[in-house]
Amino acid sequence: MTDTTTVATTPNVSGGRSLLYHVILCGVSLIMLYPLLWMLASSFKPDDEIFGNASLWPETFTIDAYIRGWSGLTVSFGTFFWNSLVIAVLSVIGNVFSCSLAAYAFARLKFPLKNFWFALMLGTLMLPYHVTLIPQYVLFLNLDWVNTFLPLVVPKFLAADAFFIFLLYQFFRGIPRELDEAAIIDGAGPWRIFWSVMLPLSIPALATAAIFTFIWTWDDFFGPLIYLNDASQYTVQLGLRTFVDSTGKSDWSALFAMSVVALIPVLLFFAVFQRLLIEGIATTGLKG
Amino acid sequence: MTTTAQIPLTIIEPEKTSKRWRGLSRALVAYSFLIPWLIGFLGLTLGPTLASLYLSFTNFDLLQDPQVIGLANYQRIFTNDAKFWHSMQVTFTYVILAVPLKLAFALGLAMVLNRGIAGLPLYRALFYLPSLLGASVAIAVLWRQLFAKDGLVNVVLGFFGFAGPSWISDPSYSLYTLVLLSVWQFGSPMIIFLAGLRQIPPDVYEAASIDGANKVQQFIKITLPLLTPVVFFNFIVQTIDAFKAFTPAFIISEGTGGPIDSTLFYTLYLYQEGFAYFRMGYASALAWILLIIIACFTAFSFLTSRYWVHYND
Repeated sequence: MTDTTTVATTPNVSGGRSLLYHVILCGVSLIMLYPLLWMLASSFKPDDEIFGNASLWPETFTIDAYIRGWSGLTVSFGTFFWNSLVIAVLSVIGNVFSCSLAAYAFARLKFPLKNFWFALMLGTLMLPYHVTLIPQYVLFLNLDWVNTFLPLVVPKFLAADAFFIFLLYQFFRGIPRELDEAAIIDGAGPWRIFWSVMLPLSIPALATAAIFTFIWTWDDFFGPLIYLNDASQYTVQLGLRTFVDSTGKSDWSALFAMSVVALIPVLLFFAVFQRLLIEGIATTGLKG
Repeated sequence: MTTTAQIPLTIIEPEKTSKRWRGLSRALVAYSFLIPWLIGFLGLTLGPTLASLYLSFTNFDLLQDPQVIGLANYQRIFTNDAKFWHSMQVTFTYVILAVPLKLAFALGLAMVLNRGIAGLPLYRALFYLPSLLGASVAIAVLWRQLFAKDGLVNVVLGFFGFAGPSWISDPSYSLYTLVLLSVWQFGSPMIIFLAGLRQIPPDVYEAASIDGANKVQQFIKITLPLLTPVVFFNFIVQTIDAFKAFTPAFIISEGTGGPIDSTLFYTLYLYQEGFAYFRMGYASALAWILLIIIACFTAFSFLTSRYWVHYND
C-alpha cells in the first residue's frame, strides 16, 4: 500500500462541515484519553483526593505515591524494571536476528521444499499459542529453565513469532532484485548480500520489527506469569499485578503511580516512533 | 577428499558436475539462513502441537507420566463440564459484541479522518495510542478503578444525576466493561481502514455524484464494496484476537474470572485447569477445541468470502 501520510484524497471540505468534523474528533479523543490523563493526574494526588474526583488537576501535588509504590513490595520496582528491560532487549535482538534470516531465505533464495516450509510458516500465524503452551512448559521444565528468563527469550532467537518473518519478508521482496544481481556480479554470496545489501536497505522495517517486539515483550503478561515464580525475577507487569493483589483497593495512588511507570517505556517509543509504528500497521496489517 | 578429485573434473566437464555441486551448496547456504527458524518451528511449534494433541487423550498432571484415557477428556468437556459451556458463552458473547462494535468505530472514524481535515496525523496518533497500551496490566488496573462503585465513570454519571452500579463487581455488567476496553482499542483497525480508504480513487465518487448518488448510496455502493478486502482482514484478525483475550479479564477478576464467573474467558478457564489445578491433559483438550474453533471460523470466513469480498483483480 502507498504511503499513508500523503496529502488527503478529498481536500477542501467546506468550513462548516470541517468544523463539525473537528468537534467530533476532539470529542472522541477527549473521551478516549481522559482516563489516561486522569490516571496520570491521580498518581500525583493524595489518596483521599482520588475517589469521587474527576478533575485533572491535583489540589495538593505530591510524589509520595511514587515513593510508596516503588518500594511497596519486598522487591523494589527497580528490579522489575531491570528484569523487563533485559528480557525486552534480548527479545528484540533475537527476533530481529532470527526473523530477518528466515525472511531473507524465503524472499530471495531458492531451495528444495521452500513452498512447503513457507506454507507451514504462514500456518503458524493462525495457531493460538495455547496449543503449544503445555508441551512447551513441560519441555522448559525438563530443561530446568522455569524461573529463568530463558523460556521467554530463547524462542525469540528461534523466530518463533512468524508475524515478524512475514513483515520482513514483505519488505525484502520490495527491494529491487537488480541490487542483488549487481552484488552477485561483484562476487558476493548470499550472506554478503544479506549483510551488506538487504539489511542496510531494510532499516525502517527492522526498526518497526524491533519496536513492536520491544513493546509486546514489555507488555507481555502471560509468558512471565507462567514461567517466573520468584519475585526477584518478576517483570514490571507481574510486579504490578502482585501490587494490585497485595494493596487491593487501599492504595490507589501508589497503584496508579506504578502503572504510569510501567507505561513510560511504551509511551516513549510511541512519542518518538509513532509514524513508523502507524506506517508499519497500515502497510502490513500488523495487529498493533 | 572428493573435492580434490572433482577439481580436474570441473575443468574438463564443467557443465554437469559444477551445476549439481552449485545446486547443493546453494541449498546448504539457504538452509543455513533458515536454521534458527527450522529449529524453532520443529522444536517449539510443530512438536509441541502434536504433543498437546497426544496429551489431550491422557490424564497428564505433570507429576506422573501421562496415561492414555481415550476420549475421556473430550467426553467430560462436552457432557459434564458446566464451566466449559459457561466460559464458551462468556467468550462468544464477548467476541460477538466487541468485534463488530470495534470495527464499526474504526470504520466510522477512518471515514471522518479521510475527509481531508487538518491535523490528521495528530488525531490518528491519539486514536492509536490506546491500541498500543491496551494489552498492559496498567490499563486493566485503570479499568478496574474507572468502573468501580466510586470510580470515574460513576462520578461523571453523577453529574447527570445517575447513580451507577459497581460495574466491575456486578456480574450483569462486568463483561461489558471488558467489551468497552476492547472497543477503546479501535485504533489499529482504524489505521488499516484508513489505508484502505486511500486506495479508492476519488474519481469514482465524482462519477457517482454526477449520476446523482447521495452520500449514503455512495457509502453502500462504492465505499463498502471496495473496502471489503480490508474489512475481511480486520474481521479475521480481530476475531481471532478476541478469542485469545486474557490479561484484562485476569487482572479485573484477580485471576478468578469472577464475579460469579461472569468474566471467565475461555483462555482463563484453560489457564486455571492447566496451571492452577495442573490438569494438563484436560487443558490440552481445551486448547485443541480452541484451535478447532479458530480454524473453523477462519475456514468459514474464507469460504464465504467470495460471496461478499470484492477483489479488484
